[in-house]
Amino acid sequence: MGSIFSQISAVVAMNIRSLPQRFWMSLAMVIASAVVVAILLAFLAMAKGFSATLDSAGSENVAIFTREGSAAELNSVISRDQVNIIETAPGVVKDENGPVISPELYVIVDGIKKSSQTEANIPLRGIDERGFAMRKNVQITDGRMFTPGTNEMIVGAGILREFDGFALGEEVRFGKVIWKVVGVFSTGGNVFESELWADVKVLQSLYNRGSSYQTARVQMSSPNDLEAVRKFVADDPRLNLDVETEEAYFKAQGKQLSYMAYFGWIISSIMALGALAGALNTMYTSVAERAREIATLRAIGFSSLSAFVGTIVEALVLAAIGGAFGSIVAFLLFDGLNASTLGGSFTQVVFSFEMTGDLFIQGGIIALMIGFLSGFFPAFRAARLPVIVAFRNAA
Amino acid sequence: MSDIYLIFKNLTRKPLRLFLTCFAIMVAFLIFGVVTTLKDALNSGIELSADNRLVVVNSINFTQPLPYAYVNKVKAIEGVKDVVHMNWFGGYYQEPANQLVTMAVDPENYLKVYEEVVLSDAERDSWFRNQRGMLIGRAIADAYGWKVGDIIPMSSNIFSNREGGHTWEMEVSGIFDGRDEQFGTNFAVFHYKYFMETQTFGGDWVGWLTLTTDDPALNEQVAKTIDEEFANSEAQTDTSTEKAFNKAFIEQIGNIGLMIFGIVFTAFFTILLVVGNTMILAVRERTGEIATLKTLGFTAKRIFTMILAESMLLAFIGGLAGLGLAYMIVEGAKAFLAQFLPGLVLSDTVALQAVGFMALLGLVTGLVPAINAYKLNIVTAFSRR
Amino acid sequence: MTDNILFDLKGVHKSFTRGKETIKIFDGLDMQIKKGDFLAIMGPSGSGKTTLLNMLGGVDQPTSGEVLFDGSRVDTLSEGQLSKWRANNIGFIFQFYNLMPMLSAARNVELPLLLTNLSKKDRKNSVETALKLVELADRASHLPKEMSGGQQQRVAIARAIVSDPKLLLCDEPTGDLDRHTADEILEMLQLLNEKFGKTIVMVTHDPSAAKYAKRTLHLDKGEFVEKDLAA
Repeated sequence: MGSIFSQISAVVAMNIRSLPQRFWMSLAMVIASAVVVAILLAFLAMAKGFSATLDSAGSENVAIFTREGSAAELNSVISRDQVNIIETAPGVVKDENGPVISPELYVIVDGIKKSSQTEANIPLRGIDERGFAMRKNVQITDGRMFTPGTNEMIVGAGILREFDGFALGEEVRFGKVIWKVVGVFSTGGNVFESELWADVKVLQSLYNRGSSYQTARVQMSSPNDLEAVRKFVADDPRLNLDVETEEAYFKAQGKQLSYMAYFGWIISSIMALGALAGALNTMYTSVAERAREIATLRAIGFSSLSAFVGTIVEALVLAAIGGAFGSIVAFLLFDGLNASTLGGSFTQVVFSFEMTGDLFIQGGIIALMIGFLSGFFPAFRAARLPVIVAFRNAA
Repeated sequence: MSDIYLIFKNLTRKPLRLFLTCFAIMVAFLIFGVVTTLKDALNSGIELSADNRLVVVNSINFTQPLPYAYVNKVKAIEGVKDVVHMNWFGGYYQEPANQLVTMAVDPENYLKVYEEVVLSDAERDSWFRNQRGMLIGRAIADAYGWKVGDIIPMSSNIFSNREGGHTWEMEVSGIFDGRDEQFGTNFAVFHYKYFMETQTFGGDWVGWLTLTTDDPALNEQVAKTIDEEFANSEAQTDTSTEKAFNKAFIEQIGNIGLMIFGIVFTAFFTILLVVGNTMILAVRERTGEIATLKTLGFTAKRIFTMILAESMLLAFIGGLAGLGLAYMIVEGAKAFLAQFLPGLVLSDTVALQAVGFMALLGLVTGLVPAINAYKLNIVTAFSRR
Repeated sequence: MTDNILFDLKGVHKSFTRGKETIKIFDGLDMQIKKGDFLAIMGPSGSGKTTLLNMLGGVDQPTSGEVLFDGSRVDTLSEGQLSKWRANNIGFIFQFYNLMPMLSAARNVELPLLLTNLSKKDRKNSVETALKLVELADRASHLPKEMSGGQQQRVAIARAIVSDPKLLLCDEPTGDLDRHTADEILEMLQLLNEKFGKTIVMVTHDPSAAKYAKRTLHLDKGEFVEKDLAA
């Protein structure tokens, strides 16, 4: 007999060639592992897409101030006086117009979701030219910027995609006030695209906010300046504010859908157990049906290791085919799928499912786990088959 | 001995295979039971909403306020029985992460509008009298170990106290239960008056109104009258039934129904495949025995029935085990999740649906092998060997 | 035709198609089997002996011609009627015993009684009697795999006679057994024929098995080549 490797490859080749005889059983195993992988990837892609939308929104060079304990822009309140004090903080970048600061308002309005035709919360952000410029990758893709002091607004690309009634040139009614959409902006796919932007001063008067704001953002020259800003806030009793980098603020919010990833892992792991039970049935059947072949090979001198490995490889191949198939299906069905859900600020976050390489690796792992476990125990049975089986009657 | 004994013997002849197949079925019904219960809990607000309850919110969005004067104007509209105004407090306990659903309300009207909030007369009266008193739900009381008479520092992530800080001291006047098991008791209510007099914004405004009508048939008319009444006012209103309002809110989270359907469907599909194949294989392995039984004089119909009964039995053993496991998990998680996801109950409807699916699974997986056995020709079956 | 005739085959034709070919097995076969006979049918493979046995047992139907059992037609019965007829009149003994592997000897023997209206107690008695007759009363609770080939075939015989059928059909009943065990089985069949009056038709390719029969018919290409004068 040749080396152990040529023995193993001979057995593996034989097993795989005989797969069509067990076509339906094998197909069931392939599909079961495909379904498990597809379900897992769908959830992971959802969580990934959501967190990517928020993670990429924040800049590490922008510090965001919110009322302490408010946790989200929506709840926060900041007075004009506080804004004035923040302007004097160390680390705030200054240009020809003074400190680069953007005090903003954040109110919620209703929009009609295209998918369900129901009302859903959309943020209407009050902002000025400085705040606009502070956003990463921001650009007007259609139309123009709103004119300060008017009831004009610009809408994020995500809003346009997921909601009815915000097309360029349309008039939108919130309560008694009519707004005109004059532009569409993009921020490279991040959460700001799920917002409507209008002049902060106009919002202050229409929503009875007086001179108060909700949040303030300041430009820093580097993330290292945050410590100085934080100390400045802590030392001034009038500033009962939380401050962090905008990047950290959104990163924390991006974790909100990470429970979806956990949920996905739990569901697909439980499903994987079911699939595993089916796969074990398939593999035990395979060993039972090939008992005479295996015993015959053993009789002419093949090692029991080759019978063992041959069975495990068969299981791994079936599960891997299923995993690949499931990944492809998940990619075709879910990658880039648009969705929106309620985010941390109580407003809709429009995001796309994102299928990245590391997700495929996770899918591959769960498929190979099914393959390995479903092959391992039947492989033991194959390795231990008594050689005498080869000489028994077919009955 | 009877046919049932034969069916049982057929089922149990390969214990490992039986175990694996039942396990796969169990997994499917475990997923069905738990996931469907989760969906029901999320939707319990819709299911439990009263027929004659309407919600009046600012037409811009429900987070925008309404003038206080609207309360009496709405109350005066024909067909309106009771009205309560409510304000979102944005409550948390000690850390912003420990959020507590807390609302400032008009106590007497609150209990009139929300009849499903159940508490003793003594606790109710003491709450009415104590302006700093609050009612907390059983789920909160259990989670934090609070008792009647405890003084609790309640913080707000929105409002500030005139005395400084964001914290209000409130006394637990009573602990309420739900009239229904599914009713979530994970919230607290306190006096609107106390709230308004102590927060820094000032003003005469309320968050939203909830009202009951004299008759559900009047709902549409009342809603229309309210919205028309304020059509030319500064704050326009949007009035809908509580059910529609809750439904729209759940839908904001996303298409949960579709997601749940996707999970349950794929789980069942997978298990159908696994079990169906196993049944076909198991019956094919018995070709000779079935031919023998037919030769002995067992009719094709009788054998058909026996195989179908076997697959039914398989589906029910695995299915009931899965449903039982789902029940235990739901019961175990109930107390733990009461604060975040109240109303976690594996309902009779879910159990009945599961039983229906078990029958369906047994039927579908048994049908092909049963037909194969029915059609099995004795002569060809024997000559095949 | 007298009451003495159990089976009467008149002008039986039987053919079946394999692919495009039509294969004729019987082309006008006539045959009579008397009550109380012990008939051995011999012949090379493909001669039609198993097909003949199948037609006698009602598991296969002639293409044309008549099969009369105790004076009434069985070739015209429906599938369901045939099942009932087999249960009432025929006991089968197979080459590979065909016992249910998951049932004990006693339960295997009891199987045909599920098709009767006998009470539980009567069934138990019948099973015990049948097992005693094949000298396996002490093995009642054993599974087939715990028994030798000869013992399994005796269980099969007990199963064949438990419901007291008139006719036993045996398809190579000793084909899987050694000489000594085969003789035991054949002696048992002889006993059933002589002492209990069972009519037996046995298909075999073993001449020494055929010696136990009262008469032997040789089948070749669908015809009896050497008719017994007793017929």
